[in-house]
Amino acid sequence: MKKSCIAMLLAGGQGSRLYALTSNVAKPNIPFGGKYRIIDFPLSNCANSGIDTVGVLTQYKPLRLNSYIGSGMPWDLDSNEGGVYVLPPYMGAGEKGSWFKGTANAIYQNMEFIEMYDPDHVLILSGDHVYKMDYADMLREHMEKDAACTIAVLQVSMEDASRFGIMNVGEDGYVCEFEEKPARPKSDLASMGIYIFNWKKLKQYLIEDENTPGSDNDFGKNIIPNMINAGEKLWPYRFEGYWRDVGTIISLWDANMDMLSPKLIDLYNENWPIRGRSPIRPPQWIGPNAVVEHSIITEGCEVEGKISNSVLSNSVIVGAGAEVNYSILMPGAEVGPGAVVEYAIIGENTKIQAGTHVGTQPDGSEDWGVATVGPGITVAPGAVVPAGAMIYESVEG
Amino acid sequence: MTTDLHGIISAYRTSPDLGVLVHGRTASALTFAGRYRLVDFALSSLRLAGVRNVGVVMQKEYQSLLDHIGSGKAWDFSRKDGGISLLPPFSLDAARSGVYNGLLEALLAVESYIRRIQERYIAIMPGNLAANVDLRAALKEHIDSGAGITAVCAKGTPNGEHHRYIVDDKGDVLEMHYRRISETAGVADLETYIVNKDVLLEMVDTAASLMRYRLHADGIAGYLSRGGKMHSYIHEGYAMQINTVQDYMQANMHMLRRDARRSLFPLDRPILTKDRADVSTYYAECSKVTNSLVSDGCYIEGIVENCVIAPGVHIGKGAMLSNCIIMRDTQIGENVRLKYVISDKYAQIKDGEVLVGSENVPLVIPRGYIA
Repeated sequence: MKKSCIAMLLAGGQGSRLYALTSNVAKPNIPFGGKYRIIDFPLSNCANSGIDTVGVLTQYKPLRLNSYIGSGMPWDLDSNEGGVYVLPPYMGAGEKGSWFKGTANAIYQNMEFIEMYDPDHVLILSGDHVYKMDYADMLREHMEKDAACTIAVLQVSMEDASRFGIMNVGEDGYVCEFEEKPARPKSDLASMGIYIFNWKKLKQYLIEDENTPGSDNDFGKNIIPNMINAGEKLWPYRFEGYWRDVGTIISLWDANMDMLSPKLIDLYNENWPIRGRSPIRPPQWIGPNAVVEHSIITEGCEVEGKISNSVLSNSVIVGAGAEVNYSILMPGAEVGPGAVVEYAIIGENTKIQAGTHVGTQPDGSEDWGVATVGPGITVAPGAVVPAGAMIYESVEG
Repeated sequence: MTTDLHGIISAYRTSPDLGVLVHGRTASALTFAGRYRLVDFALSSLRLAGVRNVGVVMQKEYQSLLDHIGSGKAWDFSRKDGGISLLPPFSLDAARSGVYNGLLEALLAVESYIRRIQERYIAIMPGNLAANVDLRAALKEHIDSGAGITAVCAKGTPNGEHHRYIVDDKGDVLEMHYRRISETAGVADLETYIVNKDVLLEMVDTAASLMRYRLHADGIAGYLSRGGKMHSYIHEGYAMQINTVQDYMQANMHMLRRDARRSLFPLDRPILTKDRADVSTYYAECSKVTNSLVSDGCYIEGIVENCVIAPGVHIGKGAMLSNCIIMRDTQIGENVRLKYVISDKYAQIKDGEVLVGSENVPLVIPRGYIA
């Protein structure tokens, strides 16, 4: 079936800088902002932008992600015309199958999927960004500028620019140079890793890149520079608004804390709903002696202790006399009576038992960091988890 | 796990004592415990028993129920074969006007549907019962007892009008009583039954020929007088039928108790409902919430105590709510005071407004009203 534009979502990354949190799930499947998983943002953006066909490329720990996506029903993507398709690496007739070598190779290996829809344009998305964006507007500009590739860019401060892939723009407004993490940035337009390609062009460059020995098969390192060098028209689509890459512990913690400031990103706007799969649990119960200050709480939670400046996913239990400050509690986490959790991320179904102490307030020292306890772990009574710790296995008291 | 059990939900009946809460809807479509509708309990209990086919008997003002149930997808009842059937009156005559004179007349109105049922047993549940009933266990007892009808019963004395059964030590029914005759003897009928299909059809046919349609006085009494065997299955968990505004207030307030909540919503027997995909609830710095059940999608800046709050409610700065039931998408302005108020969905309460009801006579703000 002919489509004008389909989306390919790169969700295969391990997210190794999230350490214990991605020990059993891929990064896009990390719980976020109470109600969500990170992948809900690009999937909801697709649904809201009228893009009804999405290929999700998986590789690392795909099982839970597959079952989370299911038929695509939670995002209204389970239509007759389109759908969400989970695409693992596969083997063709007479070939030796292989893992995705890089972002571009992942798309290369799934060219057959894209060809089924004979699209004019392909939107490439990443599964680890938190933002609300109208891809239809980006597509409109892409077509208006007759670009071979349109790259979403965000204006960053010049100090930050050296942490990003930076687009230098010529007088005609088109991209003339791409520099990955430049020491001396010439522009403040950072690539958000969101691309719309003319499919015929992209296909040509993917095949060429695949046949180039030694290539990293990566969009940022290979495909984009090759297109610029060949004189293709690359247009920067300027995005204004909230956008965060949540690839590290501190950025994941920061972005969750941002959800406590609805002025930064408005998730309550019904015109652009971000949707996720709900476990359908009873409403949250706030007990008679509970205190809740400046927090986000979700279905199935039971709170009897004190919560402040924290983000609680579904079915979290906080016992009497417990204190949770500046922390992120993922689905099914339990904080026992009298336990203290501060400046911490607690993984799914992890039990922080009575009387333990996880994390500490920032003390200004270099070594301080957010304490992280991975999923499915028990921290036994009396145990202390220091600031900046990364816990993979159960801790005894 | 398929089962030889078919489900019928009687969702046509609404007690007038629910007042404006049931204007334009039946009791089964009433919001309960924040995010649920009462009919979710019947639908989920049937689903949990492995029932694949369910008919929902409705008569009037069923728009709200149709919206909620839709294709039945939320309860896995959207199936290629069977699944959910919504049953407004089939014939164009009498059934469309007036009110059904009893469950048997309602079933008579959809008799052709009942005749086509393939399963040997039929579970009948009311749409206004808040209970997580193990119908699989009830069916097993029904089959083991050899009875033609099994009534799901509660020990103790529930609110309001109901029938009671005096039973023997095996739970078989000896006598049926009306509540006013024996307040505490025997067990209380929860209007939930497992019936053999042939027994049900016989009751419906007899009712049609005699034009006597009441389930207990005509159907069950007749069945027992003809020597029919009836059994009782004891439902141990929470159960409450919602027939009055007081029932509604009380049952919602029960949900603030952990034991009642755990009994209705155990992890391994989920009550499912249509998901609105709301965002998480935001508790602003100036909010203070205690002893309350709060649904997702709310934005709370005020003070909330002993309340049950549905999805999408906004509570403004300085507002103080106690002992209230707030239905979905209600907008509560700044410095509002509400005590013993039930606010129906889409209501708006203007800044500074003070509205006070009492425990026995809660103040009800009808749907969409601006107070």
